[in-house]
Amino acid sequence: MAHMTVAARETVVQRAMKVLTDNFVFEKSDDQDHGALTTGYTVKCHLEGGTIDFRADNTVEIKELDLKWDTLEVRLGLDIPAVCVGGGCLGPFCLPRTCIFDGDPDVSIAPDFAALVAQEVSIIGRVIPRYFDVDNPPALNALCQLVRNQLVANGTIEPFDRDEWQLFLDPETIDLDLFDFPDIIGDLIEDSLTELVEDLIPGGVVRDLILAIIGGVGDVIRAVLDIGDDFDEWLSDIFNISFGLGDFILTALADFLGHCIPVFRLPDPFEIMPATPQGLIPVAVPIRNVVARVDATELVVQADIGA
Amino acid sequence: MPFTDRSDLFGAVHEEGINRVVRHVMRQRPSLFNYATPFFRRRPDLLCTPIQADQRVIDAGNPLFTVQDPLPILGASVKIGLNFCVQLTDFQIDFHPGNTIALPPQLGALPPQRLALRFRACVGIDCPSDDVIAEHIREMELAAVRQGDLFAPAPRPRTRRMAAQSVRPVLANVTRLASPVTLATPIRRRFPLDDIAIDLDDLVLDPGSNEPRTLPTRSLICVCLEVFATAHFEWGTIGNDGKQYLKPRLDGIEIVDLQPTPMEDAIECFIKTTLRLGILPRLVVPMETMILDITSMLSDNNVTIEEKVSLRPAPITPQLPFNPAIEGDQLKAFINLVIEEA
Repeated sequence: MAHMTVAARETVVQRAMKVLTDNFVFEKSDDQDHGALTTGYTVKCHLEGGTIDFRADNTVEIKELDLKWDTLEVRLGLDIPAVCVGGGCLGPFCLPRTCIFDGDPDVSIAPDFAALVAQEVSIIGRVIPRYFDVDNPPALNALCQLVRNQLVANGTIEPFDRDEWQLFLDPETIDLDLFDFPDIIGDLIEDSLTELVEDLIPGGVVRDLILAIIGGVGDVIRAVLDIGDDFDEWLSDIFNISFGLGDFILTALADFLGHCIPVFRLPDPFEIMPATPQGLIPVAVPIRNVVARVDATELVVQADIGA
Repeated sequence: MPFTDRSDLFGAVHEEGINRVVRHVMRQRPSLFNYATPFFRRRPDLLCTPIQADQRVIDAGNPLFTVQDPLPILGASVKIGLNFCVQLTDFQIDFHPGNTIALPPQLGALPPQRLALRFRACVGIDCPSDDVIAEHIREMELAAVRQGDLFAPAPRPRTRRMAAQSVRPVLANVTRLASPVTLATPIRRRFPLDDIAIDLDDLVLDPGSNEPRTLPTRSLICVCLEVFATAHFEWGTIGNDGKQYLKPRLDGIEIVDLQPTPMEDAIECFIKTTLRLGILPRLVVPMETMILDITSMLSDNNVTIEEKVSLRPAPITPQLPFNPAIEGDQLKAFINLVIEEA
């Protein structure tokens, strides 16, 4: 019999996930000056929807989890060397001096792609424990290593600098809508039409009626475009996004979840009594034989205490 | 049957796991289980039971035992005591049904929802030899006379001076260590007439501290007792933060084959009080530690939640008559996740 057993009912995980999606907000901003080029970004996103189900075949299914962007602004600035004409004097006559490109930056754009980008993901995966030996870490692909380094650098996750048990949600299938174009297009059309109508109809009951109709039209458009396999083909043709790119991203996401970023980490040895201000070392126990399984009702994680 | 058929979350630990944890704690925090006078820092070989400490404890210079004052020699005119040690070893826990610890008849069979506890308590006390006693008798007499600390009427001052001069030849070659010092660099000075003479071994070297004086210790008389106890767990809060803790509660204790009975009762009472007030209050476990601290996990990931998320013991029902439960050689905790509007 295992020394330790922890189990979580499916319903409590569902409630915990709802708390997470209701409250999760990621926000970050940064600017860098590269001399003639300045770059920056401001991103803010949140989660919406999504359900989680435990399945009898030892897998977990996360369905239709949306990542919504509130801000996805990219800033680019170009500082072109100034060009001046005129100036100088000939005797008592002085020429006026005119310069162009004397700003800093001279040209800047800050498009916000938030309205154009949305992601929806559905995953079926298996909860798999793996041991991470800090002296003999598993080989990671460059993208995973890059993501890890970024997440560690900005404090999102702890460094991978100790032996530990890691629980991964190793995907078996991933369904990812890279860009939720039906919604985006519907939003754009709805916004554009709304703006036109607002200009044409200054106010009154008729305007409200027309706005209500347009909203319905937007829903019709989204419903028409959201048509499964045909949508993929349509998306590829219209927006010139190849399936190769999609496969690449799906592979990267699978690797990200299955091998790169664990959903839970348990240090080994595990500290049960902290160090004291008087200098006593922490008391830690080795963790062995971690196993995880899922059935239709609960997630169970078991482990032994090492000798 | 699912683990979570009666609660949102379930946590269990098997008695063998607990016993392994206890062994790790004993090796990594030996000062929780060993109590002794400072003398044993330089003579750990005289302890009743060798202390088996993790190498990291040694490397960090952590104490092997918690320092205690010497056992005072009652009535002595000078504060002087005997070295002693108390060591708790061989801890073992057996959750119901009892199948690894044979409880003594006084405790009876292990009742349901209870755990049995067994450990060995060794008490070692220095017993100075007659020659050591003889060496110190005159010094104690001198201190008693000098301080007027006699049962008989105190001598007049002239008499006291004469008495002091009479022992000067005796103390002529006696020296003592100045404090603080180390063994490698002993500093000796002439022992003043109006002080008492003490042997090198009397001084326990602890630079920077004022250690009490003890008589020379050559060996201890050790008595080891097998202690059995029964206990249970219950949920409860500590303070006003509302957090739930798993608290161990002592039910009974028994020392085997100790006579006479009043002495056994007295020692059992002392151990019971020590466990209830000294050890067990430090063994409470926050509920979050047993399962997971969801609030902390979210906080660690910079997620601020608007709801109040808390863990609470699942209520007792006909389907869940005991929580926590001690059954099947395990300690089981049934916990609910409560989400409320903040």
